[in-house]
Amino acid sequence: MNPGDRVRVDRADRTYEGVLLPSSTDDHLVVKLEGGYNVGVDRAGADVEVLAEDVYEIEDMDAAGPDDEGEDDAADSEIEFDDDLPTISLLSTGGTIASTVDYRTGAVTAQFDAEDVLRAVPDLAGRANYRGRVVANILSENMEPPLWQDLAEAVSEEIEAGADGVVVMHGTDTMQYSASALAFMLETPVPIVFTGSQRSADRPSSDNVMNAVCAVEAAKSDCAEVLVCMHATESDDVCALHRGTRVRKNHTSRRDAFETVGAEPLGRVDYDAEEVSFRGDYQERGATELERREGLESDVELLKFTPGMDPAFLDVVEGSEGLVIEGTGLGHVHTDLIPRIEELIEDGTTVVMTSQCLEGRVCDRVYDTGRDLLEAGVVEAGDTLPGTAKVKLMWALENSEDVTEAMSTSLAGEIQERSVPWE
Amino acid sequence: MSEYDYDELGLVAGLEIHQQLDTATKLFCQCPTELREPEEATRTFTRYLHPTRSELGEIDDAALEESRVEREFEYLAYDTTCLVEEDDEPPHELDEEALETALEIAQLMAMHPVDQANVMRKIVVDGSNTSGFQRSTLIATEGEIETSDGAVGIEDLLLEEESAQRVEETADGVRYSLDRLGIPLVEIGTKPDISSPEQALEAAERIGMLLRSTGKVKRGLGTIRQDVNVSIEEGARVEIKGVQSLDDIDDIVRNEVGRQAELVAIRDELEEREASVGEVQDVTEVFEGTDSGVIAGALNSGGSVTAVPLYGFDGIVGREIAPDRRLGTELSDHAKRHGAGGIFHTDELPAYGVTEAEVDALRDAVGAGPEDAVAIVAADADVAEAAIEAAAERAGTALEGVPEETRGANDDGTTRYLRPLPGAARMYPETDVPPVEPDPSEVPEPELLTEKVERYQDEYDLGAGLAEQVAYGQHMPLFEDVVADGIDPTLAASTLESTLTELRRDDVPVENLTREHLEDVFEMAETGDLPNEGVPDLLTELAEEPDRTAEEAAESAGLGGADDEEVREAVVEVVERNEAQVEEEGMQAFSGLMGECMGAMRGKADGDLVSQLLREEIQKRA
Repeated sequence: MNPGDRVRVDRADRTYEGVLLPSSTDDHLVVKLEGGYNVGVDRAGADVEVLAEDVYEIEDMDAAGPDDEGEDDAADSEIEFDDDLPTISLLSTGGTIASTVDYRTGAVTAQFDAEDVLRAVPDLAGRANYRGRVVANILSENMEPPLWQDLAEAVSEEIEAGADGVVVMHGTDTMQYSASALAFMLETPVPIVFTGSQRSADRPSSDNVMNAVCAVEAAKSDCAEVLVCMHATESDDVCALHRGTRVRKNHTSRRDAFETVGAEPLGRVDYDAEEVSFRGDYQERGATELERREGLESDVELLKFTPGMDPAFLDVVEGSEGLVIEGTGLGHVHTDLIPRIEELIEDGTTVVMTSQCLEGRVCDRVYDTGRDLLEAGVVEAGDTLPGTAKVKLMWALENSEDVTEAMSTSLAGEIQERSVPWE
Repeated sequence: MSEYDYDELGLVAGLEIHQQLDTATKLFCQCPTELREPEEATRTFTRYLHPTRSELGEIDDAALEESRVEREFEYLAYDTTCLVEEDDEPPHELDEEALETALEIAQLMAMHPVDQANVMRKIVVDGSNTSGFQRSTLIATEGEIETSDGAVGIEDLLLEEESAQRVEETADGVRYSLDRLGIPLVEIGTKPDISSPEQALEAAERIGMLLRSTGKVKRGLGTIRQDVNVSIEEGARVEIKGVQSLDDIDDIVRNEVGRQAELVAIRDELEEREASVGEVQDVTEVFEGTDSGVIAGALNSGGSVTAVPLYGFDGIVGREIAPDRRLGTELSDHAKRHGAGGIFHTDELPAYGVTEAEVDALRDAVGAGPEDAVAIVAADADVAEAAIEAAAERAGTALEGVPEETRGANDDGTTRYLRPLPGAARMYPETDVPPVEPDPSEVPEPELLTEKVERYQDEYDLGAGLAEQVAYGQHMPLFEDVVADGIDPTLAASTLESTLTELRRDDVPVENLTREHLEDVFEMAETGDLPNEGVPDLLTELAEEPDRTAEEAAESAGLGGADDEEVREAVVEVVERNEAQVEEEGMQAFSGLMGECMGAMRGKADGDLVSQLLREEIQKRA
């Protein structure tokens, strides 16, 4: 008896007939009945008869189903090249936009490649010629810095191969970190647009269709920066375009979870009108040559200070190359911690201050605590978001001659010169 | 209408009863199960839906057909709805109160709960669910209920979330209201054991009685819906959705049997005539300069006329298959699904401004002879083409007999085509909600309404009529609670059933009365703070200004609270005013003066007390 078999299960005085499915618990057999309902039957005392074997292919069951074609030629065979359309590369890293049911855990997991996305989102057809590529197939909480480097390399290769824009399909949990990483690693002559979905692709209401369509439109636009394209509101009407270094996921589940912190979003894509517009200055397409510097120092931590924090946390980062502190208010920690921080700095660790307020910039010249921190050698990161600051410090430690100078200077739009959050 | 021999036709019918549960919170979130008016909406948002494949890689036919037209759905949200209804937050765990009620219902129908209940997503992309699916869980299987014509098996009991209420069509799609979305709903499906229209009605009534016996189901318009599945031996399974009133069930079954029998007869006749469906073609030229308003209207806005020749169909397209519905109406239903206003066919032409000459030219254009029929559609070019294709396809089905499909109940007991039958392919596991293991051992066995009627008569001395009214009425749970608290059963029963009905007839807004109002009024009556005679007046006061408590209303209206002394004073005053009459008539004057006394007390005094004091005062003087 295997998943996919048609079975009859007798237990107590009940009989259930249907297709056996993998079960997420050991105690139950899960049977899909004729009407489509799944029912769990206690394994104990259940009498199973296999009526027919392998009625369905459960293991290979991805979005395309039993009639799935070979993956390699799918894009070529189904889509003709149109000289009048720009070429957009779709890179997949997994995540909700390309996910389906995992029978092991019962939860949603990533199982698509870029061609599947084209099949899953037919609305993308006719907007561009597509190149598809799978860089990773992971949930974004499992993303790691070496994958940012792989992603930067893949994006570079796509641009060198003639892509007029790149769309990166990415899980939403850590999208802001990957977007920041690429923003620091790449000088790009074309748009690099991250998108994903907050509501899984297996539901008819998923935001994946509109986000993907809007991301492709943004990738065709004139803005050659690293952007995040996600719903601007709870409605399927407008996607916001956020600068990769200023964006933050600010809600666990809403479609409009992503927000630009400390400013209005850089641009928007009107879904119905298919129009991309920008409200501020941006780097234009072709303004720079493609350049890639993907070196990263991996020995960098981000520490959030909270009242009652065990000072021993600072022992853990002893000897690290870099430490970003998410301080309180203008950029503070308990005064008792300052001597220990000073020791770390003297020991060669670069310590950077950001604020858990998220909105606003750090300023350690206002109160004594701040002044003592500056005295100790802490570097202020202006209004850089804490997560962005971590990625930036990893990059700067490998690529900048003067790390202190780099951390207080805007390299990819992560620090805003003027505090005008209403603009 | 001709009666059919249902045995001979091999009638097989089943029921699906959908009943909303009266739980405190919704099935997958903590919002109240309260209905709202569209004007009360606090926010709106818009969405699109796209069909997805099931975990077995299939797309459901019904979902696919529904999604062919891209529609924008607008949703109204309230201060009683949350992100779960907006599909912007994962569902919470299955509501325990709803599960318990479902198990109680399962027990009443002698059903077997499943070991482990798996929440499923049933794909529905008409916008009535923000997620694009309805969450539905199989709770129990294999039960039965009794009817006078034998037992009817119960196939399954599902616990589902109610869909959003359709408010209206908009320019781009449909507007829905989120208040109803997520209210728990049980769906009870019978086995196809029903063999007559009367048995269908009786089974539906029996299930309704069992549901209400729990005291935990919602009451009122739209809280219970019936679907009927009907087939005859040579026909096909047809699911009829949305039968609004229980009383319509037997008519619906009768009409559907008739429709299937007529379609079978049509098939036989078409076979004999060697009928066939020809090629769809454009016949716009035939109608250049036509006097037909409908066709000219379409052509003037750049549309076209499409036609399909139906060889051997002459006289059959216009044949009646249900009261006032013809084969042509079926073709028309399919054309409408693709945006056309309907079809014209030669069995009904010349008419509607189409001339005989145009009919002749039409027949010539498509090569149809006198024994043939022609159907046409006039609309925008792409609509006209899709619509005539759909009508032609339906005409082709007539050659085979009765199509399996989902139909909607009309108000007159007939039905109309809605969509193909949904299949197993629309079911997908709901990964956001963990499976639950129902524990039937904890479930109480409720007293049946039929048993309550008996008990109310035996224990409370209610008359048979009143006992039945109370037991089957919507106030049954309140009645039982107040009687348990020591309120006189006769007072409670007559107030809840007669008094409220009379007040409603007098246009008193009794819908404003809360459970608390009623409980307080009973309490006042029981303790003597309010004479029974004052109950209608106090309820009227409360209904008109429901923000007050019962005590406040009684005080401001001067109801109740009169002590013996006050009553005696009022009685003495009446007797003295009518002194001559009392001396002359003695006790004969009682009934006239009694009315006057009660009027003077305006409901403040108990009738028995007034009567006693009045007797005393008359005796003193007589």
